[in-house]
Amino acid sequence: MATTGLSIIVITLFAPLFVAGDSCVGPSVQSKYYVTREAAASVDTVFIVEFQLTCKNGLKNMNLYADVNGKLLPVTKTDDSKNKYQVSYSDENKNLPAGHYDVRFYDEEGYAILRKAQRSGETNDSIKPLFTIPINHPGVWKGPIVQSEFIAVVVAILVWYVAHSAKSHLQSDK
Amino acid sequence: MKFHVALFILAVAFFHGYSADDEDAGRLLASKNVLNQYLVEGRDLTIEYRIYNIGGSAALDVKLEDDTFPEADFDISSGSLVAKWDRIAPNTNVTHAVILRPLKYGYFNFTAATVSYLPSEKSSERQVGYTSAPGEGGIVNSKDFERRFSPHVLDWLVFAVMTLPSLGIPFLLWYSSKSKYDISKAKKN
Repeated sequence: MATTGLSIIVITLFAPLFVAGDSCVGPSVQSKYYVTREAAASVDTVFIVEFQLTCKNGLKNMNLYADVNGKLLPVTKTDDSKNKYQVSYSDENKNLPAGHYDVRFYDEEGYAILRKAQRSGETNDSIKPLFTIPINHPGVWKGPIVQSEFIAVVVAILVWYVAHSAKSHLQSDK
Repeated sequence: MKFHVALFILAVAFFHGYSADDEDAGRLLASKNVLNQYLVEGRDLTIEYRIYNIGGSAALDVKLEDDTFPEADFDISSGSLVAKWDRIAPNTNVTHAVILRPLKYGYFNFTAATVSYLPSEKSSERQVGYTSAPGEGGIVNSKDFERRFSPHVLDWLVFAVMTLPSLGIPFLLWYSSKSKYDISKAKKN
């Protein structure tokens, strides 16, 4: 009798965790990201977000979707056992100017609601993402605007001009 | 004649069977590209994979694996060389990118990565395919690259300091005599 009572208590305690098995409870994320900094490294601007997701209900191997710059992408799984994921996004440099980007993540449920909202033409701002990873893009460096040789030539001409004008000034004084 | 008809029927049946099979199976095309303008030793090397599903249904349990980068020659800076998707819907594509750092310079042959997937829910056998191969690329020595592309600010500063005596000493001599002459001129008046 006591064991059945105990098992009922155990079931009532842990049942909500199993019921909520499809959605991640209390997600905590460890993330790092990469953005293209130099035009020499890539002709397009590439964003890579890598993260490790831990759910309080121990959920693993989830199907996630990411909203990057208004585009919905399926999230790539890179390590099932460690619950690691990656999102890659690339576009032309001019379409991804320097600035702050928010990558919003949705689970299957959120993704379905999002798609429905998009189909009916609503804005997707009202749908709360599972979590968000901010990206700071400092811009792509395309090389110096002015070559250092050019600056050196300008300085040399300036020095010559000053010397020359001083000399002609002296000569005209005589 | 009968033989021809039989052959025709067989061909149609085969073709029909093939196309019907084709329609409800996922078919993936994959590309692998190096996005760099210059490949430089010790600097970021961007590899991008794109997988398109041109089939009639979703491809399931898709796994992209690239083991063509030896650990001794490349460091992984960002991203993973193994990627998995549960499903890729028909007529959609997915992108995956990896940032590597070449540790050595010289020519490197960029070869194809492997893509394996289940073409449909019924199939138990995994379809294995390959991405396109970017081909051979020359990785430039970092010193050579610096020599060609860095702004050489330090070199120019050294040059400026070296030219300073030949410009500065005559100027100082002239300036001191000029100020003396100016003073004596002012006294005379």
